[in-house]
Amino acid sequence: MATSATLPKQATEIEAALRACASGDKLALKRIYEAESARMLGVAQRLLKRRALAEEAVQDAFVLIWRHAARFDPERGSGLTWIYAILRNRALSILRDEKRTETSDTPVAEQTASEEDDPETVMSKLSDAKALRACLEQLPEQRRGIVLLAFVQGLTHGEIAGRLKLPIGTVKSWIRRSLLALKECLG
Amino acid sequence: MSPSPDMPLTPSERDALAGEYVLGLLEGADLAAFERRLEADAELAASVERWRQHFAAIDATAPAIPPSPELWRRIETELAAITPLAARPAATTAPVPPIPSSGSRFSDWWNSLFVWRGAALAGALATLLLAASLVGALDRARRQPVMVAVLLTETNVAAAVVNTFRDGRVEMLPLQAIAVPEGKALEIWTLWDRAVGPRSVGLIERPRATALRLDQLPLGANQLFEITLEPATGSPTGRPTGPVIAKGTTSQAL
Repeated sequence: MATSATLPKQATEIEAALRACASGDKLALKRIYEAESARMLGVAQRLLKRRALAEEAVQDAFVLIWRHAARFDPERGSGLTWIYAILRNRALSILRDEKRTETSDTPVAEQTASEEDDPETVMSKLSDAKALRACLEQLPEQRRGIVLLAFVQGLTHGEIAGRLKLPIGTVKSWIRRSLLALKECLG
Repeated sequence: MSPSPDMPLTPSERDALAGEYVLGLLEGADLAAFERRLEADAELAASVERWRQHFAAIDATAPAIPPSPELWRRIETELAAITPLAARPAATTAPVPPIPSSGSRFSDWWNSLFVWRGAALAGALATLLLAASLVGALDRARRQPVMVAVLLTETNVAAAVVNTFRDGRVEMLPLQAIAVPEGKALEIWTLWDRAVGPRSVGLIERPRATALRLDQLPLGANQLFEITLEPATGSPTGRPTGPVIAKGTTSQAL
């Protein structure tokens, strides 16, 4: 895909490693770990805020990658997006479970996100080369911020509404319209 | 809320829904319906992949945080537990349990099973009530557990529930906060045959809902599940070594 976020070399290495994992080669999983675990932990940390939970998400993701490597289909997408999708799904379900079983006074979602995870900071770090950046820049700042809060911090519609003091219906329809505008722009 | 799975989506509905999914905004029944549709709808899957490719640029802005050195070891420990079992001894009804070299702990643990089995039966009503209320809380609410085990503490407090599903999934849901000291983890075990001994099916740092990895292990009624406190990387012997936090046996859900 022309907009692939990765260098082709890196992408094919991940895909070759996934094929090796499917045939039972644990060293191949270790290669993926060495190449991606630090970035994966960074992504999980943004979602889960707590280091121990973020490490758990990465741990679970690698076990799932190992177990499901045979199901990875290069026809349907890149190996890199596949492993990050597994990580994000796992981190989000830990995040939602934590909120359900949370006993501390400060649920995960309420914990202060670092400034690094702030939507405009994330925007400033987005590569100029990416179509996504140009398209996000076309959205009004608040609507762009909502999309980034959902993706980067894993906030739900309700949490975004609470944080921005907006009705939940407004948040839902803004996100929907932002996605359609992005889609239009990204082509 | 979301269109019924049988209704065709317009291209913009499809892209908006796929985008919401990739943002992590679909939850509960909407998420389950979306994932069902995704299996059969190639255009929807392609739309999801396009969003993932675009949003990957955002994940690329995440700081790289080197994981702690133990993380890879924990992953390896889990992989070892899910590696297919080699020749497992055939089930036996030997009346005398094997005495492991680690001393009397194992036989104490096994002998006390009968006590616990009684306690679990006494908790049968609680089991059914819990199963009924928990089903609603699960992401995959449409699936009823086939079997349920309520894991009780020594003081008969329900600490966790294990649910088994028709598709082979097994999950554990904690019901109580369990304090886990620094450097320790909770290891989950199952025992179906005393001749084989307990097998590790999960290792978690703190109580949370977790999928248990039974893979090729048998699963039936009256099968023991138990949680013990172990070193953070899991039991060094492959058998429970730490104190038992809670245990219980499976019962068929009605």
